[in-house]
Amino acid sequence: MIDVRAADGVTTITLDRGEKRNAMLPEMLSAFESAVRGIGEDTKSIAVLGNGKVFCAGFDLKACAADETGETMRALLTGLSRCVVAMREAAVPVVMGVHGCAIAGGCAMLGGADVVVADEGAPLGYPVVKIGVSPAVSAAFLMSSIPAGPARALMLDPGLITAQRAFAIGLVHELVADADGVRERTTELARSLAAKPGVGVRETKRLVNAITKGTSDLGRDGLEASLSRVGSDEERRMLGALWGS
Amino acid sequence: MNHLATLTINGPVATLTMNRAEARNSMSLDMLEAMHTHVDALKGSECSVLVITGAGKAFCAGMDLKAVLVELSGDATLGGRLLRSLAELTIKIRELGMVTVAKVNGAAVGGGCGLSCVCDVSVSHADAKLGFPEVDLGLCPAVIAPWVVAKMGAGRARAAMLKGGIMSGAEAAAVGLIDHLAEDREGLDTLTDEIVERLASGGAHALATTKGLLNKIDGVVEAGMVLEGAKLSAQVLGTAEAQAALSARMKPAK
Repeated sequence: MIDVRAADGVTTITLDRGEKRNAMLPEMLSAFESAVRGIGEDTKSIAVLGNGKVFCAGFDLKACAADETGETMRALLTGLSRCVVAMREAAVPVVMGVHGCAIAGGCAMLGGADVVVADEGAPLGYPVVKIGVSPAVSAAFLMSSIPAGPARALMLDPGLITAQRAFAIGLVHELVADADGVRERTTELARSLAAKPGVGVRETKRLVNAITKGTSDLGRDGLEASLSRVGSDEERRMLGALWGS
Repeated sequence: MNHLATLTINGPVATLTMNRAEARNSMSLDMLEAMHTHVDALKGSECSVLVITGAGKAFCAGMDLKAVLVELSGDATLGGRLLRSLAELTIKIRELGMVTVAKVNGAAVGGGCGLSCVCDVSVSHADAKLGFPEVDLGLCPAVIAPWVVAKMGAGRARAAMLKGGIMSGAEAAAVGLIDHLAEDREGLDTLTDEIVERLASGGAHALATTKGLLNKIDGVVEAGMVLEGAKLSAQVLGTAEAQAALSARMKPAK
């Protein structure tokens, strides 16, 4: 579900469940986290991409709805938080290429990236309150990237935003025309970052992390808040209504 | 030494001009000291607006690379002193009880771009060149990073400082590095004059009170990150990797 390859100082981690719009499963997220944590000495930057038509449509809700115990949803929320923290804590910069769409958990992944490239047609957002799930798990990372006003609207309003709006609020840093452009530009950027003298890049990333108040601590409260809704009547009802029919 | 920066006062509006045009107003220790003297003179003045700009074609090309490349300066402590002086100058400018306007007339690079971020309002034109190419030279923009984060927001600052390179004034305006954009250099004077006139129409005390509160909310000065950043920048500057990258950059110029 995750494809990892290293070349030219860049480790490229690709979400590889394209036939399911890269819908996240717990084992996919743990593989992703391991890939980020396990980069070699010669990796100078990380590129994150998605195979298939879209970058990521979020959690595999069919699997969540089928699991009465709520364990799948819990594992996904925890795994997501760990992936975002791993990207933030990586010593080298992370460039993320978003094509097609980045929804819910897919959009949350942006919180871990240092540079985000997206195609102009890609909708983004966290429509999870519609299924009784709280996007709090993303709040700390989102609010340490973009201003509080747009972050609030993005998490509380289940509507999606356009890539242009995402660029305007600073969630996306570069817009390109289409999916091919996303892959090309993401790879190009990751290579150019890898080619720079390493100390300056690493220290700069570490410093911005320090200014934005660290990493692991930041996400913990949010994860707890999101976990607290799992298995609630509201969630079971709303999730079931979406997937029961 | 004071001629390296000039201060003119016209009613409520002061203008501080970096005046090392032949070196694209890059920051030498002497120029920074001249700027310190002028900013000190403004403390407690009646002015309500300070415009900071550069003489000649550039706003400020950043640190004087000749001073920070040890093989040229012959003084390994100079880079650290320069960074410390820049850190103290930016804090001093932030704490002035008047609205500060960066009139980015041309290139604003590295520390020069950081200086524009310290100001409350930045004005430039579409063809200006701005950015943080520190990482391209093996350096770390730590000394100015807190101002860049406060100006652009952390996510954008992260992307801009890690990507390095240079962007146009128009691109800088799109990512919040520049607040007001003129179409070209010719239009910049008129646009800046309009903005400055509007700012100066505000009550000096109301402006100072508002600015003081904004400084308190963003907390950059109190956090001590700028002086810490100067140390980190100096540390990275002293590495063999950074000195080698700087040396390679200076070679074509020799």
